[in-house]
Amino acid sequence: MSDRLFGLVVLIGSVAYFLAAANIPTGFLVDPVGPKLFPRLVSGIAALCALLIIIQPDNDPEWPMAMTWLRLAIALSVLVAYAYTLKPLGFLIPTAVAASVISYQIQSRVVPAILTGIGLSAGLFLLFKFALGLSLFPVPRSWMG
Amino acid sequence: MKQTHLTKLVAASVLALGITAGVSTSTQAAECIAPANPGGGWDFTCRSIGKIMFDIKAVDAPIQVTNMAGGGGGLAYTHVVSERADDEELIVAASSATATRLAQNAYGGMTSDQVRFLGAIGADPGVIVVAKDSPFQSLNDLLDAVKADPSKVAFAGGSAVGGFDHLKVLMALGRAGFEDITKVKYIGVDGGADAITQTIGGFTQAMTGDISEVVGFLKSGDVRILAAFTEERLPGEFGDIPTAKEQGIDVVAVNWRGLYVPKDISDEAYDKWSDALAKVAASDEWAEQMTANGLAPFTKVGGDFQGYVDGVISEIETLSKEIGVIQ
Amino acid sequence: MDTFSLLAQGFAVALTPTTLALAIAGCIIGTIVGALPGLGPSNGVAILIPLAFSLGLDATEALILMTSVYYGAMYGGRISSILLNIPGDEPALMTTLDGYPMAKAGRASDALVLSGFASFVGAMLATIGLMMLAPILAKVAYLFGPAEYFGLYLLAFSTLGGIASDNQRKAALAACIGLGIAMIGLDNSTGMGRFTGGNLHLLDGVDFLVAIVGLFAVSEVFVFIESHGKSSAIGVKLESITIPIKDIGRTFGTMLRSSFIGFIAGILPGAGASLGSFLAYVAEKAYVRDNSRFGTGDARGIAAPEAGNNAAAGGALVPMLTLGVPGSGTTAVLLALLMTLNITPGPLLFTERPDVVWGLIAALLIANVVLLILNVPMVRIFVKVLSVPPWILLPGVCMVSFVGIYSLSGSYFDLVLMILFGLLGYFLRKLNVPTVPIILGILLGNNMEDSLRRAMVISGGDWKYLFQSGISIGFWIAAVTGFLAPVFLRKIIKKPQAHVDTTPPEST
Repeated sequence: MSDRLFGLVVLIGSVAYFLAAANIPTGFLVDPVGPKLFPRLVSGIAALCALLIIIQPDNDPEWPMAMTWLRLAIALSVLVAYAYTLKPLGFLIPTAVAASVISYQIQSRVVPAILTGIGLSAGLFLLFKFALGLSLFPVPRSWMG
Repeated sequence: MKQTHLTKLVAASVLALGITAGVSTSTQAAECIAPANPGGGWDFTCRSIGKIMFDIKAVDAPIQVTNMAGGGGGLAYTHVVSERADDEELIVAASSATATRLAQNAYGGMTSDQVRFLGAIGADPGVIVVAKDSPFQSLNDLLDAVKADPSKVAFAGGSAVGGFDHLKVLMALGRAGFEDITKVKYIGVDGGADAITQTIGGFTQAMTGDISEVVGFLKSGDVRILAAFTEERLPGEFGDIPTAKEQGIDVVAVNWRGLYVPKDISDEAYDKWSDALAKVAASDEWAEQMTANGLAPFTKVGGDFQGYVDGVISEIETLSKEIGVIQ
Repeated sequence: MDTFSLLAQGFAVALTPTTLALAIAGCIIGTIVGALPGLGPSNGVAILIPLAFSLGLDATEALILMTSVYYGAMYGGRISSILLNIPGDEPALMTTLDGYPMAKAGRASDALVLSGFASFVGAMLATIGLMMLAPILAKVAYLFGPAEYFGLYLLAFSTLGGIASDNQRKAALAACIGLGIAMIGLDNSTGMGRFTGGNLHLLDGVDFLVAIVGLFAVSEVFVFIESHGKSSAIGVKLESITIPIKDIGRTFGTMLRSSFIGFIAGILPGAGASLGSFLAYVAEKAYVRDNSRFGTGDARGIAAPEAGNNAAAGGALVPMLTLGVPGSGTTAVLLALLMTLNITPGPLLFTERPDVVWGLIAALLIANVVLLILNVPMVRIFVKVLSVPPWILLPGVCMVSFVGIYSLSGSYFDLVLMILFGLLGYFLRKLNVPTVPIILGILLGNNMEDSLRRAMVISGGDWKYLFQSGISIGFWIAAVTGFLAPVFLRKIIKKPQAHVDTTPPEST
């Protein structure tokens, strides 16, 4: 069932991709193949594969339970939040928080998770800033005067 | 285990030096944004101009180079316009490609008047090159062949279709009186050296690029330069290369290397930067860098340069409309 | 004899206490950078260029430091492939296929030593090839026009079935996903954007590093959360470090064959190390008689891609030095370094600046030997990674990935894209869709399309142009054979229930 659903999603996706290719602007210059053919070819093959998967699906994988989905959703939102706070809030604080939360999602113990977060945040900062010379700000720029 | 001790020692000392270097550059240093990954022309502009500015004491602190690749320079442009418009400690590398993309509206609606162009202090002259055994002996031979049957001649260049290398060919053909420029065959490959390889291999008949890209192949005798797109003949060892102009094709196309600054900085800051840039242009260090990298002198700083850039942009805009790169 | 006296001169330049120390430091830094997901050889070299200047190194010393970092990163990429199933950089992609299963089977250190040795053989042979034949080999690039390159890419995609032969349709679909993603961005042949939705970030296309790190590293985090850290190589017993002489002996032929393939791929500016390791792997799998264990931790499946990608890294120096054409992102950065040192690579470099060329070659040989020596004791340290509990390791890998990708462009956009790839990777792994073909699609898709379109521009739309040279015909024949062979072979030879996949088995 999962494979059929997946195949259907890919099928719809490749049809959409095929149609979107129609909007690609074409140049006026010598270009016998053009910018549309290749994407259309790719979406065609993808659709074919999707059909084959729908016709002949594999066995279902074991999907996680509701509780695990919640954990995954939390981890996902933390990562997205991390992506957006890394620059404005500096490296140390968002990294510590994000690493702690993810650590907690893997193994539900609060204290080790927090220690992991703090340790990783400090350790990686030293590694990146000084050993590899990447330009990172430890804390918000406004704190540094 | 002597090995590991030595290792640690060396690693530690290298790292320690790295730290000191890092600290010394991060104190209130001016910044030069290279809108591309390390290694390209913009990166070279930032690194060499920045280094010389500090070496000749035109600025007080070393200039920190930041690479901000994306959108063919568009990401850096947007960043400067929207977030750093009044940052007086910021310069950004630019070249003919910047002007071309602005003219073709490739920076998502940004226009050339949203920054101030500071100056150019060197230029890579455009050239048309053929393989050594090519039947074409002059620029006009080549252009006549295209006129007779455009499907027989393919050009290779290091920029994408509609980019500066492509436009040079079209400008030359336009001046030679060829109207149907959309019939011209051009393939854009990954960089000038690749374009030369394709031309020597005989897959394309001519290569369009900058002189710095062909110097090695010229000296080894693998290629011939049919024309340089400069006002006058190049100095020194390139003196025997004919210009397009003297062959009756009035095209001047050079890939200048220069800088722009944010729009809202004070006039004092603008003058300070243009003074510093003019000093670099006059320095021996820069002369050396230019020779080493195949650049020809091309110094336009301040208001002069702004006018030049505006002129180039409007010409490219017209041409790009003709070939349909922009509507 | 001339070569040797030149080489001796090169060593005289390259072998001083300072340069040796720099070589060792470069190898260590390179290995670390290579092993960290998201940071590849090009980052490593780029990061160190300013350091070389601030240390006031002269041209030879700077070159030695950089080549050590370059080779070090090529060695280092395999480490995270083997230990964590996360390729440290794109050429190490193929090493995940057999390296990780071998580590899971409790032979992590064997896998590391074996792959280190294979890397050494590949890099060594390539350096020797570079030394002996570079000026001649440079001419090979003149034989490859758009039609020939198209044939080469076609060959790569037609043999994809060779890596995941249990479910061809899913492998093909994955390749299509990669190709579809590759189409996003500026179209080289029209200068206009495709599938960008007007987004300036997408105009440059999707960076393959973002995809690799997302699909492999971030998705790993989701997999671990689901399994509460139980499904891992972690917890295997750490055996003492021995040299797996038997494996090395058994795979020596593999290494030689793969080095040859990798070297040739490296010489072609359009191919590069990733294609080198890929072709080496599929060719080896097709060549050996009994290939049923490929994908489950076969020693040959580790030796082939590692010898291949390191040979390709050496081969890529041929067009870079003799033509000034960088065959990969890393050689592009090395090229830039040479230019800043006022050395312009090109056809005359070997005659005009023999000191630089032979100094560089000597540096490569030194770096290679240093890496081999360092790698055996270093394996001991790397394997310790496996004893780090997952609730520390995984957040760590994740944060390293974020910083690595952030350092590419400094934008949120790539980070969010990486997370989306992570999510995609999680679902694909659950559905047993291999992710390696996606990366190959992203890596090679644009090149493949561009070469086809360039060929058609040159020929004016005449498709016969694709089959006009012996080289292109050869590739077409190999591609058709490579595509059909697995289909027929499967019918002829009844394989034991193959369970080749790139995903770690889920916990149950």
